[in-house]
Amino acid sequence: MASIGGGGAYSYSLTVFSPSGKLVQIEHALAAVSSGTTSLGIKASNGIVIATERKSSSILIDDSVVEKVAVICPNIGIVYSGMGPDFRVLVTRARKSAQAYWKIHGDYPPTKILTQEIANIMQQATHSGGVRPYGVSLLVAGWDFNRGPTLYQVDPSGSFWAWKASAIGKNMVNAKTFLEKRYNDDISLEDAIHTALLTLKEGFEGQMTEKTIEIGVITVPTQEELEAGKIEGTGRFKPTFRKLTEEEIRDYLAL
Amino acid sequence: MSIMQHNGGSVIAMVGKDCVAIASDLRLGVQSLSITSDFEKIFPVTDRLFVGLPGLATDVTTLREQFRYRVNMYTIKEEREIEPQTFAQLVSSTLYERRFGPYFIEPVMAGMQKTPAGGYAPFIAATDLIGCLNFAKDFVVAGTASEKLFGVAEGLWEPDLEAEDLFETISQTLLNALDRDAFSGWGAVVHVITKDKVITRKLKGRMD
Amino acid sequence: MPDGSFSHPQERQFNPYTENGGTILAIAGADFSVVAGDTRQSEGYSIQTRYAPKVHKLTDRAVLAVNGFAADGNMFVKKVKQRLEWYRHAHAKDMPLRAIARLIQTMLYGQRFFPYYVYNILGGIEEDGTGAIYSFDPVGSYERETCRAAGAAMALVQPFLDNQIYFKNQQAPADSPHPVHLPLQDVLSIVIDSFTSATERHIEVGDGLEIYVILAKGRSAQGLESIRNVQEMSTNPEGDRVFVIRRELKKD
Repeated sequence: MASIGGGGAYSYSLTVFSPSGKLVQIEHALAAVSSGTTSLGIKASNGIVIATERKSSSILIDDSVVEKVAVICPNIGIVYSGMGPDFRVLVTRARKSAQAYWKIHGDYPPTKILTQEIANIMQQATHSGGVRPYGVSLLVAGWDFNRGPTLYQVDPSGSFWAWKASAIGKNMVNAKTFLEKRYNDDISLEDAIHTALLTLKEGFEGQMTEKTIEIGVITVPTQEELEAGKIEGTGRFKPTFRKLTEEEIRDYLAL
Repeated sequence: MSIMQHNGGSVIAMVGKDCVAIASDLRLGVQSLSITSDFEKIFPVTDRLFVGLPGLATDVTTLREQFRYRVNMYTIKEEREIEPQTFAQLVSSTLYERRFGPYFIEPVMAGMQKTPAGGYAPFIAATDLIGCLNFAKDFVVAGTASEKLFGVAEGLWEPDLEAEDLFETISQTLLNALDRDAFSGWGAVVHVITKDKVITRKLKGRMD
Repeated sequence: MPDGSFSHPQERQFNPYTENGGTILAIAGADFSVVAGDTRQSEGYSIQTRYAPKVHKLTDRAVLAVNGFAADGNMFVKKVKQRLEWYRHAHAKDMPLRAIARLIQTMLYGQRFFPYYVYNILGGIEEDGTGAIYSFDPVGSYERETCRAAGAAMALVQPFLDNQIYFKNQQAPADSPHPVHLPLQDVLSIVIDSFTSATERHIEVGDGLEIYVILAKGRSAQGLESIRNVQEMSTNPEGDRVFVIRRELKKD
C-alpha cells in the first residue's frame, strides 16, 4: 500500500541525495521560505515577541480570518514564513502533540520538547516515501518553569536552534543585521515589541497597520503569579502566550 | 478472595513539616501462606521522591520496571529530574492505559516538590488501580490493611510534625494496623524524606 | 400460564437479615467501665434515623451495646431485660455482671441455627468492684477484655485501641511500665477520638455519640459531673452509678 508518509513497496522518497551530497528538495523548500513573508522573534528579559506581516494579494480577501501567529498551548505560540497550508498542518500536529503531552504529564510541554516534536515531524518529511518537505520555517516562542522564556527556529530540514532574536522569510538577511545592531540582553518586552515593529518596517512594502501585521507575546509570570498557582474557578494556570489584539497593535504603532 | 489480597501488603504516606514519610510492610505471601519477609514495595524515583506499590506482587515488579523506563525516558528527554506532581500524572496515565485489564496495584507516592520560590514543599498522592489520583493534604494509605491504616492514622496524625515525630507517627500507625491485618506484616520499612536527605529505617514488629 | 401456574419451577428467597451499620466500643478501667456507641442507623446508603440508641442500660452496674442487625439487636436487648427482671423477682437483687455475660452466651447459643445477627459488648462493674468488659460473637463465644470495638468501623478503631489502651508497639521506659488501666479522663478522650476518626472515614458512623460510664460503688465521680451533656441514669447514688454523656458527631 502506498500511502502518504508510508513506506510501501511502490512509494519512493522524493528527497534524494545529489551526487554532491546535497538534498536539493530541502534547498528548494528553503527557497520557498525565503520568498515568504518576513517573520521575526525577539527574546526580552521578561518575555518574547514574535511578529509577522500579513499582506493580502487582493483587497477582496477577508483578512480577518487569516491567522499567521498561532497559539499551540497556553505557554507556546508559533509564527512562520513560507507556505500557509503547510503551516496549518503543522499547527494542527503541534496542538495535538501538546495535548497528548498534557494527557500524560498533566502539564503543557516545555518549549524545547514541543519544538523537538515539530522538528521531528518536519524531519520525517525529508526521508519518508511519497512526501515532500514542509515549505516553512517556524519561530517557536514559549515559556516553561524550567527554562524560562525560549525562542526556537525550526527549518524544513528539521534542524532547530535557540535564538535571542531571529528573522525568517523574505528580508531575513537584512532583518537579522538590523536585529544584531538593535539587540541587547536586558531589553524589556515593551522595547522588544517596538524593535520588532521597526525591524518589520525596514522591509515593509506599503502601509504597516494593525491589519497588516500580527504579533504574539510571551509574558514571563511574576513570582507572585507563580506562587498563586492555578486560577480560582478555572483550575488552570494563567496563559503565558497570547496574541495582541488589533487595538493593542494600533497603540504600539502609534507610539 | 480478591486478587488485590493475593500477595498481601500495605503502604502509607504522611505529610509533616518540611518533610514527608512513606512506609510499608515487608511481607510477601500467597493467600494465607507467608513466603518472605524482605519483599520491599517502596522504590526510589528520584533523590526526593519514592513510590510504593502495594498489590499483586507480579505487577509490583512489572510496574516498577515500567515506571523506571518512563522516568528515565523523561529525564533524558527533558534534561531534568521528574517532579512529584508530574510523576503522579505519569503514574495515573500509565495505569489508565490499562483501564480494562488493570495492573492490580494501588500506588502511593511521597516526595518533596520544587516550589516557584526555589524551596521544597511536601507532596503525597495515591491512586486506585486504574489511576484515579488522590492528592491528600494529610496522609494516604493503600493495601490489605488500608481500613486499619485509615483508622489509626486518623487518630494519631497531626499537622506540622517534625521529621523525627513524623517517623514515630507513621511507624506507630503502620505497626498497629499491620498487627490487625493477617495479610500484612513481617517487618516494615520507613523512609522519611526532607529536602536534603532521606532517612530509611527497618522496623521489626510482631513477626507473625 | 394463563391460569396463574408456572411452566417452570421458580425459586424465591427471603433474606431475614440486614446490616444497619454503626459502631460500638467499650473500655474497662480499674473501677469503672465505659461503653459507647454512635446513634446512626442505616441500611445500604440510606440513613434510616440519626438517633437509634445502640447502648442500653440493663442494671445499675451493667450496660449492653448491641451492633449489627438492629431488629435482632432490639429484640435481643428486650429479652435480656426481661430475663433480668425475672431474676430480680426471683432473687430480689440485680444479676451480677459475670452472670449476665453467661446468660447472654446461653441466649445467643440458643439461637445457634437462626442466630441473632448482632455483636454484643457488655460493660459494667463486677461484684469485686472492678470494671469489666465482655465481648460476644453472634452465637455466644465470649471473653472478658479490657477494651473492644465492634461494628462497621471495628477495623478502624480496634488497632487504634491496641495502641492507646494496650500500648501495643510501644516500649515502656524501664523505670515506668505501662499502666494496666487508664484514668477515666484519658479513656473518655480516647473514646471520643475513636468515634470522630471513625466518623471521618466511615460512612455508616456518625450523627450522635452516647458514652455510658459505669462507676464502681464508692468511687468518687471526680470530674464527671463537670463534663457537658452528662446525665445520671442510676437509681441509687449510694451503689454503682451509671452516667451517660451525649455528644454530636458529624452528620455527613
